[in-house]
Amino acid sequence: MHRISSGGHSTPPSVRRPILNFGRSLNTSSEDSTISRNNSPHIAKDYVESLHQNSRAALLFGKNNVHVMPLKAEVTEPMPGYLSLHQTPSGLTIKWTPNQLMNGFSDESQDKSVYWDFALQVRLDEIVYVHCHQDSEAGGTVILVGQDGVQRPPIHFPKGGHMLAFLSCLETGLLPRGRLDPPLWSQRSGTNSNTRRRRPLPALSETEETTKDYVFRIIDNSDHKDILKRKDLMDTKASLPSRVRVQLCSTSTSSESSSKSFSLDQQSVPDSPPSVYIQAVCDSMKKQIISRAFYGWLAYCRHLSTVRTHLSGLVNSKIINGDGASEGITLEKWTELCIDGVVSDYGEVYRQTYFGGICNELRTEIWPYLLGHYKFGSTTEQRKELDEETKQAYENTMSEWLAVEAIVRQRDKEDQAHAIAKLSSESASGEPVPKEIQRDLSNEVFEDEITDDEDSMSEEEKIQSRKSRRNTIKYESDEDQQLNDEDNAEINLVQISSDPEALPSSSNCDKNDEDAEGRSQELNDFIHNVIVTNASLDITNVETDGAPVRNHLDAVTEENNSSLDTCIETHGLASPGRSACVSPASSNGGIYSQELLKTFGLNLHRIEKDVQRCDRNYWYFANENLDKLRNVMCTYVWEHLDIGYMQGMCDLVAPLLVTFDDESLTYACFCHLMERMIENFPNGNAMDCHFANMRSLIQILDAEMYEQMHAHGDYTHFYFCYRWFLLDFKRELVYSDVFKTWEVIWAAQQVASSHFVLFLALALLETYRDIILSNGMDFTDIIKFFNEMAERHDVNAILKLARELVLQLQILIENK
Amino acid sequence: MASNKKVLLKVIILGDSSVGKTSLMNQYVNRKFSNQYKATIGADFLTKEVTIDDRTVTMQIWDTAGQERFQSLGVAFYRGADCCVLVFDVTAPNTFKSLDSWRDEFLIQAAPREPDNFPFVLLGNKVDLEPRAISAKRAQQWCQSKNDIPYFETSAKEGLNVEQAFLAIAKNALAQQNQTVDLYNEFPDQIKLTNTQRPSNGSDSCAC
Ligand SMILES: Nc1nc2c(ncn2[C@@H]2O[C@H](COP(=O)(O)OP(=O)(O)OP(=O)(O)O)[C@@H](O)[C@H]2O)c(=O)[nH]1
Ligand SMILES: [Mg+2]
Repeated sequence: MHRISSGGHSTPPSVRRPILNFGRSLNTSSEDSTISRNNSPHIAKDYVESLHQNSRAALLFGKNNVHVMPLKAEVTEPMPGYLSLHQTPSGLTIKWTPNQLMNGFSDESQDKSVYWDFALQVRLDEIVYVHCHQDSEAGGTVILVGQDGVQRPPIHFPKGGHMLAFLSCLETGLLPRGRLDPPLWSQRSGTNSNTRRRRPLPALSETEETTKDYVFRIIDNSDHKDILKRKDLMDTKASLPSRVRVQLCSTSTSSESSSKSFSLDQQSVPDSPPSVYIQAVCDSMKKQIISRAFYGWLAYCRHLSTVRTHLSGLVNSKIINGDGASEGITLEKWTELCIDGVVSDYGEVYRQTYFGGICNELRTEIWPYLLGHYKFGSTTEQRKELDEETKQAYENTMSEWLAVEAIVRQRDKEDQAHAIAKLSSESASGEPVPKEIQRDLSNEVFEDEITDDEDSMSEEEKIQSRKSRRNTIKYESDEDQQLNDEDNAEINLVQISSDPEALPSSSNCDKNDEDAEGRSQELNDFIHNVIVTNASLDITNVETDGAPVRNHLDAVTEENNSSLDTCIETHGLASPGRSACVSPASSNGGIYSQELLKTFGLNLHRIEKDVQRCDRNYWYFANENLDKLRNVMCTYVWEHLDIGYMQGMCDLVAPLLVTFDDESLTYACFCHLMERMIENFPNGNAMDCHFANMRSLIQILDAEMYEQMHAHGDYTHFYFCYRWFLLDFKRELVYSDVFKTWEVIWAAQQVASSHFVLFLALALLETYRDIILSNGMDFTDIIKFFNEMAERHDVNAILKLARELVLQLQILIENK
Repeated sequence: MASNKKVLLKVIILGDSSVGKTSLMNQYVNRKFSNQYKATIGADFLTKEVTIDDRTVTMQIWDTAGQERFQSLGVAFYRGADCCVLVFDVTAPNTFKSLDSWRDEFLIQAAPREPDNFPFVLLGNKVDLEPRAISAKRAQQWCQSKNDIPYFETSAKEGLNVEQAFLAIAKNALAQQNQTVDLYNEFPDQIKLTNTQRPSNGSDSCAC
């Protein structure tokens, strides 16, 4: 036991002390354990002196040969040192100083500066938990855990009740404002230490055989709690200290403490009355508590405010009420809104639709307004005219792609014939395939692939191929661009037809088996694939180029292809109301490059596969109406070949077609619809935005759900919403409900939110939140759940809830 | 792994659009074929209990959209797969040509520990249809070149070979899981009290 006689060591007030880093930031603890390295033996001496009883700090406990493992890489074993507990006006401090610094600090021959780095200093007001490990063999270990959750280095006490003595002093030092929880000593114990009953802590008695652990919490007993009681100011999520402890300045510990392990010299207690200290400390503490609470709260508010600012873009700031709109647009209401065929009060149309929907008979008439095809204020005549133009343009476009389709079909037939021929020749030769041919077989599989084609091409050919791809895939309405493209197309044709070797193969035949005849057949195939539908223009162009194309081309003109006659008739007419994308055929004057044929052919097949599988169980598509769907889809893709067909588009066309039962109107409205929806498809970035917005919305509007989602970290990526957003909930609802939902989504843009789909998604989640939460559904559960719930939702309830959620957010933002 | 513990096998079905992935999955799990299935959007899965060598395991079969543009979406579901089923349509040569890209994409995204030994199974579907474009021999050659992937010719429509194929899939998945279970041995994240500045040291760290 290291007993310190305090009397002779009192230091004069002017003595220089090492610069100890007492200043601390809210949550850092690193400074606690380090003391700035100081080489001056004088300062070192002063520091060691400070460990003793002095006028500034009362020594509550001191013990040498306490082992600590400093937080330094070079130290691999716990080091012995001197542990002391001090009480200063600013609170309790635990210090540990390596023995090397304690013994013979005057010995300057040895550089001990390194040990200063190991010294430890922990302010107890930063400590929340005291973990104790009692081991009957090895003594005891105390680990202090800070409010930041960080452990301080473990302190190993030698055997002999030293840990208990330390804890006892600590508990006493905390009084009267702080305490240990659970208390070390029974409250009912007498003043005489001998009669104290050790009630709650049998484990700490070393007579126990077993190893036991105990955790104490340091608790603030003071009146300052009332500051923290205003919990509404703060959220538990904010990084507030969960406990604020009292820092004691009281030196009146002597009356309470009776531990043998420290001596307290009453003479050395500061002259000032304790009350002054208490007052000062309480004031500073109050400030500290308030500022901590404030900063925690501020941080949380900032966070919420950021989220709100972010979310404020999701709803319209103006709140429009739904008074008298719960019925929506009935036939009656429509006669009020549509006067002499002119609808001018579009605000009311949107509002009525948003709050009450549109009766089924009027959808054909009103949807084109909502989608932006009809203009509000237009007359019946104007709309009729527009309908005519739309129809004309649609038919023109159809004729274009129908021509291409015919070629694609022809090629398909040939391809298939080749494939079958090959298959039968393959199976005819029963013997095992030699290695070389095997490789050939696997290579040959890729002959058609664009990328592999390119690999086998010469550099020049690649350039040509790219040019032609640009030609066929990107269309500019810009005149110059068109001219360039025409040039490219011609060069491409010349290049290909003048070099039979470089012909893109329309068959899958092995080069090995290929004879000259086959090759010339291929050439013919190819030429047949180059169709001129506007011969006069193209052939002139070709001729001026002086290339030997004409010989080949003249074999195939429109006259030669009777199946195309009907299509070609309308070709070349100006198409009013056409989208900015000019179709490749019209800009090229009807020369279809291989590239174009390939691209469109691929899309055609994809469309067919999906059209065949589109809502076959719905009455409307039980018959030839599927062809209408296909036509609309092909027309769209022909006009937007750069986008191409993507799975899901059919689902978006279908409800429009069912409503309008008119191909050209469906097509026109679908184009408008796609302006918004295209961003949801791969390559667009709307989906990720939706997911991010969902996350924020749930955080603000349903914290509990948000918590659970966080717990299952996996499903914050919200993939279970993917289909919802991609198809505007089309697959989640039955047809009649899709109609109701879609018109509300369209109207919402003007009335409440252009991101109404988010609130619908949220409403779906909220509708089943109890099921989701009580079952603790994870990512896979939730995908399964919603896939199984498809077409079984109560759409009216969900729409209502979605509108309420929009309003809730609007109000929240308004009150920001 | 303790044999009494419930085993979940995650199986991913990949292949071009319309090759019959959804139909195969439903034929296997529900023993029925419907021509009412829509093109798959997003992802779905079905589960089925199977008994393999007296052990009951749950197969979680994931079906994603086939159009290659949607591949990036499926990626989220590839992780943690125990077996990958590749499907092509024996009447559609292009679907056979895509197999390499599906396989590569899966290996890149799922990033299994041993890509060379990760179990794949190839299904040539729609064998009830005529005319065929890809012979069994050609499919088998491809399988040989890919470290001997098992190959099955199936018809989701007629339920031909579907049961057998999925049993093989389950066996391969189980074998894969048994192999990796030790490597992946996962514990729930512990609350770490240890100061992060220093790697925890057995005797010193607090075990509370
Ligand atoms: N004859 C025949 N038709 C089949 C078979 N399997 C699927 N089909 C049909 O092929 C079409 C596509 O089947 P799906 O199961 O939807 O294809 P998928 O691979 O899931 O397609 P995606 O969801 O687009 O990726 C459907 O019309 C099925 O009815 C089969 O074994 N034989
Ligand atoms: Mg599918």
